Amino acid sequence: MRRKVWLFAALGAFMLVGLSQSNLSGPLIYNSNQSDPKPRAFDTKVVDAFKKKYPGIQMEFNTVDHETFQDTSIRTYLASNNPPDVLTWFAGNRMRAFSSRDLAMDITDVWKSNNWEKVVPKGFQALSKDSSGKYVFLPVSYYWWAVYYRKDIFAKLGLKEPKTWDEFLAVSKKLKDAGYIPIANAAKETWPQGGWFDFLDMRVNGPEFHKDLTDGKIPYTDPRVKKVFTYWAQLVNNKYLLENPASYTWQDAANLMIQGKAAMYLMGDFIRDQYPADRAAAELDFFRFPIIDPKVPIGEEAPTDGYFIPAKAKNVANAKAFMSFLGSKEVAEMAAQDLGRLPVRNDVDVKTLFKDKPYVQKGIAILDQADLIMQFYDRDTVPEMARIGMDGFVRFLSQPNQVDSILADLETARKRIFSQ
Amino acid sequence: MSATATAQPQLRVRKVRKGPNPWVLGVVWVFALLWLIPFVGAIITSFRTFDDLNTRGFWSIPQELTLNNFVRAWNQAGVSRYLLNSFEITLPALAIAILFSSMCAYGLVRFRFRLSTPIYLMFVAGLMLPFQVLLLPVFFLANKLHIYDTLWALILFHSAFQLAFCTFVLRNFMKTIPFSLFESALIDGANEWIIFRRIALPLLLPGLAALATLEFTWIFNDYLWAIVLLQSDQLKPITTGLANLRGQYISDWPLMVAGSLIATVPTLIVFFALQRYFIDGLTVGATKG
Amino acid sequence: MQPAPTRITPSRAKQLNRNLGQFFWLLLFLGIPLALYSLWVVYPTIRTFTLAFTNYDGLSPPQWIGWANFKELFDWRPGGGGEVLKQALIHNLIWILVFITVPTSAGLALALVLNQGVRFDRFLKIAFYLPLVLAPVVTAMVWGWIYHPQQGLLNTVIYEILRFVHFIGFNVDPESARSIGWLGDPNLSLISVIAAAVWRQVGYVMVLYLAGLKTLDSEVLEAAKVDGAEGFNLFRYMILPMLAPVTTIVIVISIVDSLRSFDLVNVMTNGGPFNTSEVLANYMVKASFHDYRQGFGAAIAVILFLITFVFSVIYLRQVMSQEERTA
Repeated sequence: MRRKVWLFAALGAFMLVGLSQSNLSGPLIYNSNQSDPKPRAFDTKVVDAFKKKYPGIQMEFNTVDHETFQDTSIRTYLASNNPPDVLTWFAGNRMRAFSSRDLAMDITDVWKSNNWEKVVPKGFQALSKDSSGKYVFLPVSYYWWAVYYRKDIFAKLGLKEPKTWDEFLAVSKKLKDAGYIPIANAAKETWPQGGWFDFLDMRVNGPEFHKDLTDGKIPYTDPRVKKVFTYWAQLVNNKYLLENPASYTWQDAANLMIQGKAAMYLMGDFIRDQYPADRAAAELDFFRFPIIDPKVPIGEEAPTDGYFIPAKAKNVANAKAFMSFLGSKEVAEMAAQDLGRLPVRNDVDVKTLFKDKPYVQKGIAILDQADLIMQFYDRDTVPEMARIGMDGFVRFLSQPNQVDSILADLETARKRIFSQ
Repeated sequence: MSATATAQPQLRVRKVRKGPNPWVLGVVWVFALLWLIPFVGAIITSFRTFDDLNTRGFWSIPQELTLNNFVRAWNQAGVSRYLLNSFEITLPALAIAILFSSMCAYGLVRFRFRLSTPIYLMFVAGLMLPFQVLLLPVFFLANKLHIYDTLWALILFHSAFQLAFCTFVLRNFMKTIPFSLFESALIDGANEWIIFRRIALPLLLPGLAALATLEFTWIFNDYLWAIVLLQSDQLKPITTGLANLRGQYISDWPLMVAGSLIATVPTLIVFFALQRYFIDGLTVGATKG
Repeated sequence: MQPAPTRITPSRAKQLNRNLGQFFWLLLFLGIPLALYSLWVVYPTIRTFTLAFTNYDGLSPPQWIGWANFKELFDWRPGGGGEVLKQALIHNLIWILVFITVPTSAGLALALVLNQGVRFDRFLKIAFYLPLVLAPVVTAMVWGWIYHPQQGLLNTVIYEILRFVHFIGFNVDPESARSIGWLGDPNLSLISVIAAAVWRQVGYVMVLYLAGLKTLDSEVLEAAKVDGAEGFNLFRYMILPMLAPVTTIVIVISIVDSLRSFDLVNVMTNGGPFNTSEVLANYMVKASFHDYRQGFGAAIAVILFLITFVFSVIYLRQVMSQEERTA
């Protein structure tokens, strides 16, 4: 079986290099989790461009909604005898979960033949390798997280973007006094709280500490972890955070901001897709998560998305041709233009591409100043710990004085999960 | 018993009697209207514009009504193709489940044999099974049989899984048919298949109709199994198409409700076509074994 | 039940012949359906049970780990592997208690009223029955709007009531209605989901009882009336006992549906916030798929199955003995 795969791979590489590209033929199946209108339209555009380039390939393109894709579909794809040939997925631990079980195809040859090592920064290269150093993933785009806010409300109250924690609290107080919900928050899905915990921990204890924590090396009962919650509690106890967050999906909470009831929101840049396009330029802006301890190195979050080929894929040559195309400068520019996602390739001229989108420079600047970039709580730690951890954070929001018992429970869970 | 099981007019006779206390009836009406609120909400929402809904809220009086959501849902969700797939899955699965379960029920009731109770128990146990348990094992089975990502996987699984409930209900219906009917047909020279076909099935008709309504709804509304057993868009049923409307980034409620209502129409049609049997006939057998 | 046909056959050869014939017909009627059922339901069930003793993650080959999953499940300390199982069990129990009381009595009452020849009875029956026709996802969505804290119907009604109370001079803030998070409040989430489930269940129970009422022997009832029984006494001492078989079915169905409850929980709260509305079936799916712990999920499934199996055996014994009595 292994041999066969290699044979196919060699054949694929040979065809890529030796023959004219348009000679490729046969089927190619691509399953994507990009189910929202904008990303889906982009996906279709990319597929069409690829079809034009390789008219001999019969391409089948399927879309599954995001949640279903990652919670259910991907399992059956990878286990089936006839999986799709190319799949969307996430860099880092999520990818490693598959590569460590030999479920992802080695695409080192694709990396080499496209010279991606020259244009993809080292950090992203590391995210794309399995434990033995082979490339199994193609990262294409990422986005930043930040505190988004209503520019017009800030202007009306004469507020400035807070840089430090104290300024952040002061701004929150003024907003609250003026009758606004200072910070929108959502916990119906628990992941937004993963973001809060990530940032607070990185600002209080530094990103290296946070990395060790998500790797399961530090107990949740460590006093340094508890300190994180004293800062979080300041927001909860002063009612700066939206109350009852578990009643709101993240879109519900974003709507509070769109309606002008809430002023700030810790979110990924995809909030822009939810915000009315004609109002975003005048109303929506963001700032870096405030600094708590200036002595601590700065960590940021930039979840990275990309593609991989399942180990059992049948149409390897075509899949690799498609991967080469997906990783090309051409597609990276298209993605940047259409979706506003940051390209992983550093030879894409972001300055000219995003000329009319000044906020992108701001986002890039935030990431540039970071000492360490994390993926996200639910991508950095193992799935079960992520679920239990984020449930614990949600519980903290409604029972802030129970912090000791919450952390003790998380620690019991951590010991159990990481000993397995 | 067969006479009361199949005859309808009994209810009409009761109408002559004086009705219930008007106060009680009033309470029933209030609750009936309360029960309909979610439907009214859904229907009104499906005719609203996104902005109208966002600025005024779900339960406000709409300013303008539009059919646009239905048009968009139809186009965006690829409803027409998905709908066809749904029928291609539901109808064969329904036919197999109903045919096989009535055969099973006939076999269990007509013949006395030692395994009869264990087999019945096996069906009842299956009826009580939380089906999420089976997701991965069934997937592996379909994969092994090389029917993963074909409609056959869904058709065969649905019909097998629904056999449990159908056999359970039909066996109890079948019990209400007097045994002597079968015996006298046998003496007249009919074989078992003819008895099943000509005597048992016609007598079961109301029960079968009721069962078909329920089963149609359940199989048609399935979402989970389609995810696990299919990966190609061109095979997927309407429920998964709708799931793609449920965006990660945008919650366009009017669009989603319109799509959901389109998806509910077939089940509603089946329900209204067969509701006479359903409301009046279900479990007549099951309740009097 | 008639005596088995074999008894009347005179000679042994004929009897053998007859037995063979019966075997043939049995095979014809039961063979294919049983094969289909065994392949697609029984076999996967057995596989699930064997997976419960492995560390299967759904991706790589399973390894046998004995009772470890079950040991973990019965570690009910906070943070232990079975903490959520314990919570979910309690929630399923609450679910059962609500289901065997509220929809059961409401469905019975409705059936009694609507069986008396009411005007527009068909409309009323359909109104209560319609929730069963809707896809669960739609049900969950609409109830989501009812429960929405800012724009939801429930809070809007409460808001208007509070406004009225405020208007007549009491010191209440109507805006406080907007902060009730039905699905997001740890104390309300479970019961809010159950309420939506009750909305769906009432019609089901009503139909079962309507069917049951139809089969009641009207002559016996008329005789009782002639003897002077009426109103509550007629119901308590005549109708209710005669409906006992239906009640058994309704209660068993309620229990089984409670234990299997999944769809509404999954869409409305996904067990949250922090497991305060978690139920067994949803927890099982979470463990199996989200956590990559199919073996552990299978162990939950085994426990869930054993509980339902006990109920199904009790139910079957009841029904079977009833059949023997009426045969």
